[in-house]
Amino acid sequence: MIEGIHSFLVHPAKHEEQQPEIGGTTILDAGSLRTMLQRIFDKAPSECTIDIVFRPDTDGRPSNPCRDLLLTYAQDPSIQNGRALAVCLQKVTTHRSGLGLLFLMKGTIGNKHTVVVSRFPADQGVVAEENQDQLSVEFIERIFMKSSKAYKSVFYSSDSFQGGFWVGRAIDRQISGPQEISNYWIREFLQSELKTTGPAGTKRLANALRDALRASRDLATKQELVSAATLMRSRDGTSQSTNQLLDKLGMTEQARVTVESVFPRKELMDEVFTFDREEFDRQVLYRSVELDNGAMLLAEDARFEEVFQPEELLESRSIRFTTQGHIVNEDLRKKR
Amino acid sequence: MDAIAEYHTRHESHLPDVALRLRDFVAEHLHSQPHVDAITARAKDPDSFAEKATRKDEHGGTKYSSPLTDIQDQLGVRVVVLYTDDVEPVADVIKRYFGGIEHTPRVPESEWSFGYFGYHMVLPVPGDVIPQSVDRDLVPAFFELQVKTLFQHAWSEANHDLGYKAIHELSDHDQRCLAYAAAQAWGADLMFAQLSSGLS
Repeated sequence: MIEGIHSFLVHPAKHEEQQPEIGGTTILDAGSLRTMLQRIFDKAPSECTIDIVFRPDTDGRPSNPCRDLLLTYAQDPSIQNGRALAVCLQKVTTHRSGLGLLFLMKGTIGNKHTVVVSRFPADQGVVAEENQDQLSVEFIERIFMKSSKAYKSVFYSSDSFQGGFWVGRAIDRQISGPQEISNYWIREFLQSELKTTGPAGTKRLANALRDALRASRDLATKQELVSAATLMRSRDGTSQSTNQLLDKLGMTEQARVTVESVFPRKELMDEVFTFDREEFDRQVLYRSVELDNGAMLLAEDARFEEVFQPEELLESRSIRFTTQGHIVNEDLRKKR
Repeated sequence: MDAIAEYHTRHESHLPDVALRLRDFVAEHLHSQPHVDAITARAKDPDSFAEKATRKDEHGGTKYSSPLTDIQDQLGVRVVVLYTDDVEPVADVIKRYFGGIEHTPRVPESEWSFGYFGYHMVLPVPGDVIPQSVDRDLVPAFFELQVKTLFQHAWSEANHDLGYKAIHELSDHDQRCLAYAAAQAWGADLMFAQLSSGLS
C-alpha cells in the first residue's frame, strides 16, 4: 500500500556552482499516473535485481548521507524531504544523462516500510490526437518513459529504520555500459556499491569454472569451459551477473547446467558484480592439457596458446602442440 | 512469534551451521595471509540475544525496535593475528571480498584509559555460506567480524567471562584491575610488534 508519491524535475547540473531550483509535486491518489506508479511500486521487488549496499563514511563508520535522506523521507514522506534527495541527484547528473523526472514512492509491503526511487529520462516524441475527421499531431520536448534504456530505479524495504535500509535492489539498464553512466546512479547518487564485490563475484565464478571442469566427463564441455575462461578476460571492469556473462559468451545449455550444478546457491548466478581480471588470473592461473600419448602440458591460461602453439591434424583427427624455449627446471613427481 | 522466540527457532534450526560455514569461508580468503593464529565463529547464544533484545536506551525506551534486523552480531567471526601490524592487512583482504558497512578500530575513548581494543567490521552475509535448504530471509543480513591480536583476544575473552561470573557490579578497584590487565596486553602487543619489525 502506497502512503505517498512525490515527483521532481531534476536538471543535469554536475559541477555547476548555481544549482537550478527543483520543482516538486505530490501525486494524487487517483488517475492513470497513480495507477502506473502503483504498478512500478508493486513490481519493484521482482524487477529490481541488482543488490547494492550503502557505503560507510571515509572513516569506516556506518554513516551515509544518502541513506540518511532516504530514511528521513521514509519516515515522513513530503515534498521537502523528497526534494533533498532530488538535490543530491541533480548534483551528480551530467548533460550526458540529461533531464530526468524523479519519482519517490513510500508505502508498505507486508510489515515492511518500503521506498521506491525511480528516474525517468527525458525524451522527445510526437503526440497524435484523432477527432472525427481530423488528426492533429504535436511535437513534445519532454516525454519521460519507463521503457527507455536509461530508466533507473531502486527499492528499499525493511521492518526497521534503525538497522534496516542498508541494502537495496536496483535496476540500471546501463550498468554494463560505459563506467561513467553506470557509476552515476549507484555509486554517485545512491553512494552505494554492488553488494557482491568484484573480487568476490569473480572468485566465485572462477571457482565454479574450475569445479565444473573437474565435474564434467564430456570433453566438448570441458573445452567450452576453458574457452569461456579465456574469453572472460575481455570483460574486465564490466558489471553483469554470471548468467548474463554466460549468455554473452554464448555458452551451451550443457555447459551452463554444469556450471550451475557447482554454484553454492543457484540464485548467486544472478548476483551482479564487476568482473575483475586480476582476481580471475589469480584464481585461474594455469591451464593443463592432457594428451592420450601421456603428455601433460601446463602453462598460464592467459598465454597457453602462445606457449603451446596448437595445430589440428585433420587426417589423424588429433592435435599437435609445438613449443620452444630453454630448460630452466626439471622435476620428478609422485602424482600428476 | 516474537523476536526472541523466532531467534531461538532459527538458532535451533540453522544459525550455528551458517556460522561454521562463515568461518570456513573467511578462512579460505585468508589462507595466504601470514600470522593468522585462529579464526573462530559463533551464532549468538539465544539467552545472550534475549538480553540484548530487551536492553533499554539512555531514555529508558527499547534500544532495538526490530531486534532480528537491528542486532548485527547474531553471527560473529573473530580473526586472531599475532601482531598489531597484521591487523590492517587482514582487514584489507576482508574488505576486498566482503565489502561492508562498517570498518572501524575500536579503542578506549580516552588515551588515558585502557580497555577494549580491536578492529570491527560489519559485513553482508554472503549467499555462499547459506545452505540451499535454508531460506535466506531467515539468516541475518549482516555479520560482525573482529580482528584482534592474541593479547587483545585473551583480554577480551577473560573480561567477557568475568562479566558473566560477576554477582555484583564491578567496583572501582575491579575496573582499575581490568584496565591494568588491558594496559599489560597493550604493552605486550607493542613490544612484540617492535621485536617483529626489528627482527624481520
